[in-house]
Amino acid sequence: MNIRDNPALCDKLAAEYVLGTLKGGARRRFEAYLRQDAALRGLVDEWNGRLVPMAEFASASAPRARVWQAIERRLGLRRSYAAWQFWRSESLVFWRGLSAASLVLALLLVGVITSPLLDHPQVDYVATLQDEKARTALLLTGDTDRGVLTVRLVDNAPVAADKALQLWAVPKQGKPRSLGVLSDQGVIELGLTPGAIGDDVALLAVSLEPRGGSTDPDGPSGPILYKGNWVRVM
Amino acid sequence: MPDSYSIDPEQLRNWLHAAARQDAASFRLLYDATSPKLFGYALRILGKRELAEEALQDGYVAIWNGAASYQAHLAAPMTWMTTIVRNKALDLLRRSGADAEIDGPVFDADIMNALQDPRATPIDALLISHDARALAYCMSLLEGAHRQVVGLAFFHDLSHSEVAQQMAIPIGTVKTWIRRSLERLKTCLAKGERA
Repeated sequence: MNIRDNPALCDKLAAEYVLGTLKGGARRRFEAYLRQDAALRGLVDEWNGRLVPMAEFASASAPRARVWQAIERRLGLRRSYAAWQFWRSESLVFWRGLSAASLVLALLLVGVITSPLLDHPQVDYVATLQDEKARTALLLTGDTDRGVLTVRLVDNAPVAADKALQLWAVPKQGKPRSLGVLSDQGVIELGLTPGAIGDDVALLAVSLEPRGGSTDPDGPSGPILYKGNWVRVM
Repeated sequence: MPDSYSIDPEQLRNWLHAAARQDAASFRLLYDATSPKLFGYALRILGKRELAEEALQDGYVAIWNGAASYQAHLAAPMTWMTTIVRNKALDLLRRSGADAEIDGPVFDADIMNALQDPRATPIDALLISHDARALAYCMSLLEGAHRQVVGLAFFHDLSHSEVAQQMAIPIGTVKTWIRRSLERLKTCLAKGERA
C-alpha cells in the first residue's frame, strides 16, 4: 500500500504517530516512509507543532544542580576555554575579595618600601600578587602622576635563565593586556598605561614565559604563577 | 523563580543559534529558562526523579549537539527541544521496562481547571507559552473524556488498547474519540481562535 496517494490517511497517521498511538509494525512502516518522504516529514513537523506544547501542561519542576553539572561534564563545556584562561571559570568576585584581604599587607609593604624614598611618595595604586598558596610574591605600586608602574619582587622567585615573568592586566571582556616583561632585578619600573588600571581590569596576573615574553599574541602562553588586583589607596 | 514562561521564542532561538556556535554561556541561559518545564514533563512521563534527570541530561546533550541542525522555519524552539527530551524520556521508559504510574492526573491542577472551565480559570493567566495556550484553548472545547484520552496517550505513550483498558471503554470508542479530537484540534488551531 502506498500511503502517499491518500493525503487524509497520511495526515491521520502523522497525527497518531506524534500522539504516540501508532504502535508496533504500523509505526515502523510509517518511519520507513518518513525517511524517504519529505512531505510526510512536513506533516509530522506540523503535528509536533500542534501537540507537543501539551508537554507544558505538566507541572514545572526544577531539576537538581547535578543535572547541569553532568551535562557540562559530558559536553566538556568547562574546558572550552584555553587552560590558561582560568579566570573565565572562576568568580571574579573571589579575586576582588582576595585583593581586599591583602590590602593591609600591601599597605604595610608600601610603608616599608616608600619610607626611604620620600622624594616620590605619590603612590595611588597598590597590588600584591600571590601564588596559589596565597603567599605574596610581587608588590606593584602605581603612580599615576608620573605614569610609573613599579614592580618589586618580594620574595626572590627563581626564574630559569631562559625564562621570564610577564605581567598582564586581564579585562572583564577581551584579551589580556601585556604590561611588560619583568627582568630579574628586584625593582622594575614600567610605564603605567590607562589599560593597566582601568575600571574594566578584573585581575592582574603574572605568567611564566620564554625570555622576551609570550609567543601568543592573544595572551599568556605559559602558566599563571601569580594573581592579584589593584587597590586604590589615594 | 524567574518568569521563564513568558520568554520570547525569539530569545530561545537566539540562545539555540549561539549554542550552535559553541557558546556555553548562552546554552546555560537556555537551560535555566527551559529546564523546569522540560523536567516537569519528563517527570510526568517517567514518574521517577532519577530517570527523569537522566532523560533531561540526555536531552540537553542532544540539544547542544544538534543545535546547528535546528531549523527555525520547521519548528518553534520550545517544540523542537521538547520533542528531543520527549524521545529521550520515551526511550528510557521503554528500556527501563518500568510501568510508570498512570493513575493520577496527567495535567497540572491549574491547567486542568482551566481546560474544564476557562471562565473560572482563564487560560491567559496560565504560566505556559503562547503555543501551549492556543492548544489549551482548543482542548478546552473538547469533551472531558476525549481530552483525557488524548492526554493519557500523549503523556504515557499508550496504545489504543492500553487507553481503552485504562479508561475501561471499548477500543473502538477510543479510536473514534482520538480521531475526532485530533481533527477538531487541527481545525481549531488553524483558526487561531481564542476565548
